Amino acid sequence: MNAAEQLAPVITEALTWPQICEQYPDQWVCVVDIQWDEPRMFHFRNARVVGHGTTRREPLVHARPWRDRYPEIGHFFTGKIIAPFPRFFA
Amino acid sequence: MKNETRFDPDAELIVVNATIRGPRGSAVVRLAIDTGSAATVIVPDVLDEIGYSARDGTARTSVTTAVGKEHGFLLKVAEFEALGFTLTGFPVNVFELANRYGIEGLIGLNFLERFNYEIRSGEGRILVEKIAP
Repeated sequence: MNAAEQLAPVITEALTWPQICEQYPDQWVCVVDIQWDEPRMFHFRNARVVGHGTTRREPLVHARPWRDRYPEIGHFFTGKIIAPFPRFFA
Repeated sequence: MKNETRFDPDAELIVVNATIRGPRGSAVVRLAIDTGSAATVIVPDVLDEIGYSARDGTARTSVTTAVGKEHGFLLKVAEFEALGFTLTGFPVNVFELANRYGIEGLIGLNFLERFNYEIRSGEGRILVEKIAP
């Protein structure tokens, strides 16, 4: 793969969340064109993946070329969400 | 008006969607409800992408964790939407959280204290209503 191919923005077809989790297990993904069933819940019919990777930053970088066309981008982790996390004592 | 938000009652954390709007766009992220956190916390990567940086910070802040003290900054985002309500000019603390947690931050008391809320863990539901002025 040459440099131009590496940088070429890629967008998938519309995928359901289970399909996204299966294709990108335990990864961070950026998705656009989210067809929400209910935006306050994590339920959507499908969305298109524009970036993925093992760190938070990777998919965000992949998604940059799509920002103008899709002003709203979802950023989600496909693996299990775990506790604990650092406590905030402000 | 009471807004209802559902969450997975079997998950380790109460995680809900939030939308953060900035000068370069919006990010839909998942945040954990944390009544033990004074502040709402967002990771810097997400805020960078919607047009914010440390230069937009209004104050430096610190967080005490099990491994020591980490530094971040306070930032007012243009809009913060969660649990069915949208706040403008909402202050968030910008701090790094480990990738492995799978969330982009926490919804803390600086958001929750503006509402009456009822967390019904057995049903996986949060009911939220604005406090009357």
